[in-house]
Amino acid sequence: MRDKRSDTPIGLYAAVTVSLIAVFWADVSTPLGFAVWVFYIVPVILTVFLARPSAPVIAGVVVSAALIVGYYVSSPGVQPLTAQMNRVIAIITVFVVAFIVLQTIRSRLAVERQDWLQTGHARLTGKLSGEQREEELAESILGFIGAYVESMGGAIFLDFATSWKRAAVYGCDQPDSIPEYIQAGQGLLGQAAQENRIIVVDPVPDGYLTIGSALGSTKPRGLVIAPFAIDGVTKGVVELGFFGAVDDRVTEFLARISDPVAVAIRSAQYRAKVQNLLEETQRQAGELQAQSEELRVSNEEIEEQSRALKDSHTRLEQQQAELEQTNAQLESQADALETQKNNLLLSQSTLEAQKRELERASGYKSQFLANMSHELRTPLNSSLILAKLLADNRQGNLTAEQVKYARTILSAGSDLLNLINDVLDLSKVEAGRLELRIADVSVKNLLRDLQVTFEPLAKEKQLALRISADSAAPVILRTDGQRLEQVLRNLLSNAVKFTERGEVELTVRVPSADTVAFTVRDTGIGIAEDAQEAVFQPFRQAGQRTGPDHAGTGLGLSISRELARVLGGQILLETELGRGSSFTLVLPVAGPELGRAHAQIAPIDANGHAPIRDLKITEPAETAPLVRIAHGPDTRVLLVIEDDKSFATVIADLAREIGFEVLIAGTGQEGLTLAAQQSPHCIVLDLGLPDVTGLSVLDRLKKSPATRHIPVHVVSGSDYMEIAYPLGAAGYALKPVKREQLVKALSELERQSARRNRRVLLVEDNAIQLESLCRLFEAPEVTTVPVRSAAECLEKLKAETFDCMVLDLNLPDSSGFSLLETLSQEPAYSFPPVIVYTGRDLSGAEDEKLRRYAKSVILKGAKSPERLLDEVSLFLHQVVATMPAEKQAMLQRARSRDASLEGKRVLIVEDDVRNIFALTSVLEAHGVVPSVARNGREALAMLEATRTEARQFPDLVLMDIMMPEMDGLTATREIRKQPAWKKLPIIVLTAKATRNDQAESLQAGASDYIAKPLDVDKLLSLMRVWMPR
Amino acid sequence: MSKRGVNIEDVEFHLLLEAIFQVYDHDFRGYALASLKRRATQALAKFECATFSALQDRVLREPETMRRLLPLFTIGVSDLFRDPDYFRKIREDVVPHLQTYPSLKVWVAGCSTGEELYSLVILFREAGLERRTVFYATDINNEALAIAEAGAYAMDRVAGFTQNHQRSGGTCSLSDYYTAQYDRALFQRTLRDRVVFSKHSLVSDAVFAEMNLVSCRNVLIYFERSLQDRAIGLFRDSLMPGGFLGLGSRESLRFSTHDDAFSEFSREQRLFRRVAA
Repeated sequence: MRDKRSDTPIGLYAAVTVSLIAVFWADVSTPLGFAVWVFYIVPVILTVFLARPSAPVIAGVVVSAALIVGYYVSSPGVQPLTAQMNRVIAIITVFVVAFIVLQTIRSRLAVERQDWLQTGHARLTGKLSGEQREEELAESILGFIGAYVESMGGAIFLDFATSWKRAAVYGCDQPDSIPEYIQAGQGLLGQAAQENRIIVVDPVPDGYLTIGSALGSTKPRGLVIAPFAIDGVTKGVVELGFFGAVDDRVTEFLARISDPVAVAIRSAQYRAKVQNLLEETQRQAGELQAQSEELRVSNEEIEEQSRALKDSHTRLEQQQAELEQTNAQLESQADALETQKNNLLLSQSTLEAQKRELERASGYKSQFLANMSHELRTPLNSSLILAKLLADNRQGNLTAEQVKYARTILSAGSDLLNLINDVLDLSKVEAGRLELRIADVSVKNLLRDLQVTFEPLAKEKQLALRISADSAAPVILRTDGQRLEQVLRNLLSNAVKFTERGEVELTVRVPSADTVAFTVRDTGIGIAEDAQEAVFQPFRQAGQRTGPDHAGTGLGLSISRELARVLGGQILLETELGRGSSFTLVLPVAGPELGRAHAQIAPIDANGHAPIRDLKITEPAETAPLVRIAHGPDTRVLLVIEDDKSFATVIADLAREIGFEVLIAGTGQEGLTLAAQQSPHCIVLDLGLPDVTGLSVLDRLKKSPATRHIPVHVVSGSDYMEIAYPLGAAGYALKPVKREQLVKALSELERQSARRNRRVLLVEDNAIQLESLCRLFEAPEVTTVPVRSAAECLEKLKAETFDCMVLDLNLPDSSGFSLLETLSQEPAYSFPPVIVYTGRDLSGAEDEKLRRYAKSVILKGAKSPERLLDEVSLFLHQVVATMPAEKQAMLQRARSRDASLEGKRVLIVEDDVRNIFALTSVLEAHGVVPSVARNGREALAMLEATRTEARQFPDLVLMDIMMPEMDGLTATREIRKQPAWKKLPIIVLTAKATRNDQAESLQAGASDYIAKPLDVDKLLSLMRVWMPR
Repeated sequence: MSKRGVNIEDVEFHLLLEAIFQVYDHDFRGYALASLKRRATQALAKFECATFSALQDRVLREPETMRRLLPLFTIGVSDLFRDPDYFRKIREDVVPHLQTYPSLKVWVAGCSTGEELYSLVILFREAGLERRTVFYATDINNEALAIAEAGAYAMDRVAGFTQNHQRSGGTCSLSDYYTAQYDRALFQRTLRDRVVFSKHSLVSDAVFAEMNLVSCRNVLIYFERSLQDRAIGLFRDSLMPGGFLGLGSRESLRFSTHDDAFSEFSREQRLFRRVAA
């Protein structure tokens, strides 16, 4: 603080002193009586300009002294008494003046002080105005006060909850050593605040804070601590340091401004509070708004929902109306149906009555015929015999004419007998009462008989008759010889009858492996096309020509046809009008029983007529080429291993009727290959195969893990049942196999395969757990096989197949991990889908290792049985569906070995198991060698390892972005920091699709990026681009 | 002469969204118009623009404006353990399922300032699942992500958090997880150990990993139906069979095309379970 007193220019002091001395000198140099001492007032008055109140008093004393001295020193002049009186009066006057001056000075000083205080106050008020924050306020207050009271340093503390917080500091050398908080009542400051009084410390003891500037520091001399309080509450405290002593007008000033400052502080605090509240309110308003928005949105949704409801309601009503209408319609239809049904019942009963009538009638007829046959034949026989006798004319007593009459009678009688026989035969055949006598018939004998019989007839007509048999023709034929002969006779006689010139030929051929054909060819008149059908009708002849040349009843062909049918064959006709005819009787070699199943025979139509076909007897169609059947999950595939093509075809047709897709293999080897490749649902196996025995095929089927679950039905001509069943056959049938047997067997196979038992292998060493697992999976079509050790498990997998396997990791003899490794490496063990079910906590690395082999991993816990059941069911039902897809994938994999990527090493940095699996499968399929790091840090470690261990450095890095510990972009940047790795191609796999994000990847140092979801082709082409050969 | 029936303000607003998309790649065009427009109207006052066109002018030319506008469009209100019954349901019924997995992944989509994320981390920690879980917290707003990563919230909100935490069945005091500093509560750094923070947009980006639990609450209500569908499609593709999807209390799957991929796990708490494909 500047000393106001020293502000007084020296000049004034000088003036006072000079004037004093001057007057003194004047006084001394003049004799007494000269009232020079009057002028002593001047210096005293001059002291009014000084600021010291003591100045006039001092001046007065000095003047008094000067007066006295002057009295004694001046030369005498006036009366000493007068002079003394004068001097005394002067002294009194001087003191009075001094007193006045003193008061003047005093009042002036007081005014100045007041002025100073008020100016300070006013200016402070100015500084306090405006809406300042507390800190700003504190700064400006401290700054102003500090400057105004000329303190050299200080700090101001403001009220903060229960303590005082340092708000502003100035002039201090080490501001940090000023405490930030001062507790209430702590130290002088606290005390001042608490008691609301000003404390002055003067002088300041050592150890106090130093006040400093750039050029030096020192400790203050005096300290003032003043509180600012309003309404008894202290709002702030200021501490000021002074170089000199503390002036009490400072303390007065501080006391004066205490109120306004405190008010200002309080206002600032209030303002701050209001601001906070305002912000709080705004925030809450924002919340409210958000909530009301949500409400509005849900309102809108509810509106939409109710609209949708209304719509569906209307629709429902409409539907109901329609339904009612339909109902009415249905009712009337039902009524109509009822009526129809009644009618039908009526007609049915009528028909039945008629049928019974007919039966009775036909019964009468048969009986009649049976009776009559005897009745008819007997007299006829007698007549014939007698006629014969007459015709023979043994006794020679008849005329030639009489003999001729007798011969005519004989001939007519024979014809009549034949006719009767034919009629009887036909009726018997129609009634189904024709009995066949099957025996081994000698073809040679038969032909010889025919030759003998017809030779004369042919010669008579001058026709050539040739009867021959093919070299391949069977020697023995199993059939009814009599009927066969009957047919052939009929054919031959017709041929002879209708041929005028030329020849008649009977040949026996073997058109196919199991049929024999008797062909009667003539060069006769032929049959017109429109008459071809008619000739087989009873009692009809071509052209209706009757006459001696064409005598005959016309029954022959129809009987022949029926007989052929009964024998298991048919008659085929080839003819041309004017050129001749050729009738062929085709019979099965094996006999009538299997006929229908075996030969290429056209079915008889409803009228019992075989359609007439071209005579070209073709080889039966080649068995269908062995195709790969792309069957969906629902079609059932049957594999037929049978070298007999026609039998195979029969079974195939039958199977297709039932709904199977059929594959045919002609040899055992082919059959095994097909079974392994196509995994049919069932197999029909013939034991008589050309290349290997059927039993060995059966054995191999049951030994191979891929096919041992397929049921096999064995068909054989010999009885190997005792061997076939133990080998694993599901069924056995002896040839010849009836159609019904085949149907039954195939249906059984079909039923078995549809209800195929699912097998689950449970590997768990704890008996109680195992028990509960078994019970968990108990179901009609599920078979559970429990084992308690790894060795047992391997044994089972070697011998049998399973649909699914549940594995505990803690096994007594081996860890689950090594078990899985073994299974994946050794082909001898079947490797079903594995579900790991363990109580162990798994580390991340173990988890990853397991994922490679196991389909899923379940930790034992409260909900784990549920989850286990879900996952196992998934596999049991998916087994069929996934197999073809897996096979397809296998094929694809084999085909896609890509030359440009073959053998390249790629580092995949990705933490999601699903993505890892997808990427590695794709890459491996193309011949790439992948390695995996789970996050950026691991990736860096792996790259480091290639440096120190000289392991192979990758050719390319696929880097995912979102990973824990170190994300992809950071890792990329780190990689690029190493000069050795600057050229390493890094392709970033980003889920982000915006340009900025992708640009970010490039900026981080990636060579390229590809967005998820990954387009495999695009990824591969990118890889080819960045890994050129 | 404008066409009859054409609302100029709507046109302006659409143009604004289009402009934002073209210049900044933030796609708000699929958001629910009504609520977005209301927010934008408030923003007009804040930026002292009279019309959307004026705002568009500023946005196009001043990236700073966009940066300040983004939170207005996206940040929602959230609390720790908001809707405590939802978290209680997770704690009691979902966690036993999750305990059967050796490793877990959780995605908090649209994590905003992170309250939802920390709720789940704390819940998992109390259930003993934190060590084997990786949490992915994504949002389109970098600033919100920064706040989430910092993990500090205003002190006066903590009382509400604590109440919510208790009501959700919390086993210890919420104060175990934070320290109070002046007027902020700072949540422990260890809570962030298993969390990956990343910018990700449900509008344009794709699936990035396979999840056991996806929590996306009170985000979808701000989307238009087609965008909601896309988001749900992302969740569908992310979740493994048997995985859980949690939505906000006023959200549902009923009108989405992916309804058949989920079965209802809890109707009141909007928890769904991914059915096997």
